[in-house]
Amino acid sequence: MSHTYDRDGEDSFNMAYFGDHVHLATFNQILEMDEDGEHDFSEPLVFNFFEQADETFENMDVALAAEDLDELSKLGHFLKGSSATLGFTKIKDSCQVIQQYGHKQTVEGTAEPDKAVCLGKIKEAINTLKTDKIDLEKTIKKFFGIEDK
Amino acid sequence: MQLLAANHADDSQPSSDSNRRTSLDGYLLFDLSPLPQLVLSPSCCITRASSHFLAEWHLAREDCIGQELIPFVEKQLRPQNSFSVCYLTAAIDDAITSRTERTSQSIVTQHATAWKARILPIFQEHELLAIVVEWLEAPATLLEHDEIVRPGLSTDEAFRILVQAVKDYAIFLLDTKGRIATWNTGAELLKGYRRDEIIGKHFSIFYGQDDLEIRKPDLELDICLREGRVEDEGWRYKKDGTRFWANVIITAVYKDGVHVGFGKVTRDLSERKTAESRLISAYEESEKIKSDFLANMSHEIRTPMHGMLSACSLLLDTPLTDKQKDIVHIMDESGQVLLQVINDILDYSKLASGSFFITSDIVGISSIITSVVRSVQTTLLPSVHFELFLAPDLPKSVQGDPLRYRQVLHNIVNNAAKFTDKGSIRVRALLQGEDEDSFFVMTEITDTGIGISEPAAATLFTPFTQFDITTTKRYKGTGLGLSIAKALAELMGGTIGYRPNPDRHGSIFWFTARFKKIKSLEQIQDWKRGPNGRTESLSPHPIISSPDLQAELAKAAATKTLLLVEDNVINQKVMLGMLRSLGFRNVALASNGAEAVQVVKGKPAAYDLVLMDINMPILDGNEAAVKIRESGIHIPIVAMTAYALKGDKERCLEHGMDDYIPKPVDKKWLIKTLSKWLLRARDYRKSLVDSRMSRLALPEPGQGLNLLGRTDQVTQTDSPDVEVKPVAQYPAANGYGSELSLSDDQQEQVALGHIHQEELAQSSGQESQPEPAAPAVPAAPAVPAAPAVPAATAVPMDVVVVEQSEVVVGTGQEGQTTPSGSPGQVPQP
Repeated sequence: MSHTYDRDGEDSFNMAYFGDHVHLATFNQILEMDEDGEHDFSEPLVFNFFEQADETFENMDVALAAEDLDELSKLGHFLKGSSATLGFTKIKDSCQVIQQYGHKQTVEGTAEPDKAVCLGKIKEAINTLKTDKIDLEKTIKKFFGIEDK
Repeated sequence: MQLLAANHADDSQPSSDSNRRTSLDGYLLFDLSPLPQLVLSPSCCITRASSHFLAEWHLAREDCIGQELIPFVEKQLRPQNSFSVCYLTAAIDDAITSRTERTSQSIVTQHATAWKARILPIFQEHELLAIVVEWLEAPATLLEHDEIVRPGLSTDEAFRILVQAVKDYAIFLLDTKGRIATWNTGAELLKGYRRDEIIGKHFSIFYGQDDLEIRKPDLELDICLREGRVEDEGWRYKKDGTRFWANVIITAVYKDGVHVGFGKVTRDLSERKTAESRLISAYEESEKIKSDFLANMSHEIRTPMHGMLSACSLLLDTPLTDKQKDIVHIMDESGQVLLQVINDILDYSKLASGSFFITSDIVGISSIITSVVRSVQTTLLPSVHFELFLAPDLPKSVQGDPLRYRQVLHNIVNNAAKFTDKGSIRVRALLQGEDEDSFFVMTEITDTGIGISEPAAATLFTPFTQFDITTTKRYKGTGLGLSIAKALAELMGGTIGYRPNPDRHGSIFWFTARFKKIKSLEQIQDWKRGPNGRTESLSPHPIISSPDLQAELAKAAATKTLLLVEDNVINQKVMLGMLRSLGFRNVALASNGAEAVQVVKGKPAAYDLVLMDINMPILDGNEAAVKIRESGIHIPIVAMTAYALKGDKERCLEHGMDDYIPKPVDKKWLIKTLSKWLLRARDYRKSLVDSRMSRLALPEPGQGLNLLGRTDQVTQTDSPDVEVKPVAQYPAANGYGSELSLSDDQQEQVALGHIHQEELAQSSGQESQPEPAAPAVPAAPAVPAAPAVPAATAVPMDVVVVEQSEVVVGTGQEGQTTPSGSPGQVPQP
C-alpha cells in the first residue's frame, strides 16, 4: 500500500525533530486517542504533564536543599511514571537517576553509600531534566502547531 | 486367390483313377451317400460327383466332371452371393495346410439353399491324392426382400489364424484350473517361453512373489468367474526373470453354458509406464525448481529491501531539507511499492501452483470491514468520503479465513481509494443467502472514481494487466492485485465481479465468499478456551487476532466496571483515555492504595476488575491487594508497574494480585490482559456464590432439601445516549473528508452487535452473567467530540448491586449449574 503523506507525513516530519526525546510508539499511542484529527486529548494532556513537571522540579529543589534523599527518590519515581507513560524518554531516564540515587544506588542498582555523591548526581540529573524539559516543550509546541512566544 | 493345392501335384487325369473306380464298394458307398459329395483332384478339378449332389444341385454329371471347382461353384451361386466362394477357397487351403478336415462358411446357391462344404484332404505320405468335399445343408434365413442373411464372418479358424499371428499381445487360453492351453507368437515374444515348455503350466508362473502371496492369480480367476471378465495392471515376469508392466484381461469362456476355461490377453505397458513416470518426475522437478527459485528470490530481494526501507525511515528521522525529505520520501514509497510487487508475485505464484491454503478461524466480517475502511481512509483525499453499510442480518461471527477476506477487501477498497479523486466510496456488506452449513456474504464496493472503459473491463481480472496504459504511468502497481483477489475469492467459495456505477461515473466491484456457520457452543469455546488461571503465561491468544479480540472486548466493555488505582494524574488520564477507546464507560478512580481498599470493600461485588499501580503514597499497590484479599474479595487485580524486570510479576502475584502489565502500558498488552480476565475467566462473584453453596450443601449431602442460596445479580442501567444503528451511514464530517466520522468504539459497536451473548444464552439455556437483558448495544453519538475525561469527573458508577434475589437450588451437587462461558473451571479459592 502506498501512502499519501499529506497528514501522516506532516506528523512524521515533525516527529523527526523529537530526536531521542520521545519514544515514538508510546507517544503515538497517546495521539491515537485523539479524535476528529484534533489533538483534543493529547495536547492538554502533554501540557498538564509539563505543569506537573514544573511542580515536581520545585519540590525537587526544596528536597535537594533539605538533602532529603527519600523525598527526592519519591519525586523521581513520580515523574518517571508519567513521563514513561507519554514516552518522554529523556525525562524518564533522568527521573530514574534521581530515584536510584535517592535510594543510595547507582543506576545499575549497586549501592552508593556516599550521600554527597548521591546528592551530586541528583543535582546533575535535575539540571539535565530542566533543560530537556524546555527543549521538549519547544518541539512539542511546534508539533502541535502552537506559537512559541 | 491361388489354390495351394495346385502346388501339390501334377494335373492328374480323371482317368488315372480308373483302376480305383473298379472298387465297386467304394464307388457305391460314395455315390449313394446321403450327403452330396464331390471328389477333386489335387488341382481341384471335379473328378466325381455323387448322385445326391447332382440331385440336390439340379445338375447333370456332364456339367460337373472335369470342371475346376471354384469357377464351377461360382456359377451355381446366387449373383448377390458370388463373393462367398472365398469361404470355400479358404477352407480348402486351410484343410490342405493342416492336413485335416475343415468346414467352410455357408454359401448359397441359385436354388436358395445354403451349403457348408466339409473339406477332407486325402494324403498318402506327403502326397495329396484327392480332396473330398461333402456338402452339408445349412439353415438359411430369408429376409423381407427374399434376401438371405449370411452368417457372420467369424470362424474358429479365422480367429485361430488371427490370434496366432498377433505379435504385440500375448493371447492364450487357460483351462478351468488356470493351466495354459494355447500359446501364440505374441505370448512367446512377450513372455519368452516356447509353446512346448509352457503348455500345461499354471499361469501363476507369470506373477511375482508379492502377487502370489496375496493369491492374486486365484483371486483373478474367481472374480472372472463371477463377473465374466477381470482386468488388472501390474508387474508380470518373463522367463528370464525380468519384469514388465502389464495390462491383463481375463475372460471366462463358456461352451454351451459349461465353463471350459479362460481367455487371457496380456499387453506390455512398460513403455507407457516409463514415459508416464518420466513425465511425472520431470514435472515434479520443475515445480520444485520453480518454488525453490521463488522462495530464494523472495528472500534475496526482500532482505535488502527491508534493509533499504529501514534505512529510509531512519533517514527520515534525521533533520533534512525539504528537498532531501522529498527525495527520501520517493525512495521510501518506491521501495514500498516494489515490496508490494514482490509480495503480489509470490502470492500469485502460490495461488497459481495451488499451494495456497485457506485456514479456518473465527471471522468477524463487520470488524474486518471497519478495520479495512479505517486503514484505507488515511490515504483518502479530503474530497472523498467513506460510506459504510452493514446489513442488520449480517452474521457477526462465522468460520473462515479472516486474513484472506481482509486481503480481498483491502485490495478492492484500496483500488477504489487510489482511483477516486472526489465523491464517495461506499462499502456495503450483506447476507446473500445461507444454507444449513454456510452463509454467503456479498461485499460490494462502489466508488465515484475514474471508472473503467468497457474493453478494459474484460481483462480486469487477468494477471499483469492494468486497465489502461496511460493510467499505468499514473498509478503504480503490478496489475496482479485483482487476479489475486479473484483467486482468493474463488478459494473462499465465492466469485468476484465488476460493473459500472449506474448513478454516475465510477466502478462497482463486488465479491462473494462462503463462510461456515459456527454450529456448536463447543466450537466457540474451543476458540475461546484461553488462559484462565494464575499460572497462565501472558502469551497472546493463539487464535483470535488482536483486532478481533479488541472488538470482542469492546462489546463486553460496555457492561463492565473497572477500578483504576493510580496516583499520577497524567497516568490517570492516559489510562482513562485508553480504556475509553477500548469501550469502557464505567471506570472508577482511586488515587492511592488506601482509597482503593475502601472503594472495593464498600461495594464488594460492584467491580469487574482492578487496575492497580504499585508505587503509590499512603498505601502501595501490593499492600492494597493484600488488604482486599484479606477481606475475602476475589476480584481480579492487575498490577501496573514500571519495573519490567523478572520477578516483578511474581512479587505482584505473591501479594494476591492476578496479573501484571508493564508500564508504560501498551494498548495491545492491555487488551490481551483485560480480555483474559473479563472474557475468559470465570466471574469471581460466581465463585463466591459457588463456594457459599458448597459450604451450605456439604453438611447434609444427598438430602432432598431445597437450599436457599444467594447470588449476585448486577444490573446496569443503559446510558441515556444508547442507540442501536444496525445500518449506519456515516458521511464525512465537513471539511475533513479524510477522517472517517466514526469513533473507533462506535464502529466496533456497530460491527460487533451482541451476537455472542445471544448465542451463548441460546445454547446453554441459562445465562446468569451480569449482562443487560436488552440486546441494545450502546453506540456513541455520531460525531463524538468528547474531550479527555477529566479525572475529577470520572464516569459515574451506574451499577446497582442487587443482593436480595434468591435462587432456588436443588439437591447439593446437581444444583450446581456450570455457567456456559467457563466450562470445567475450578472456582477460585
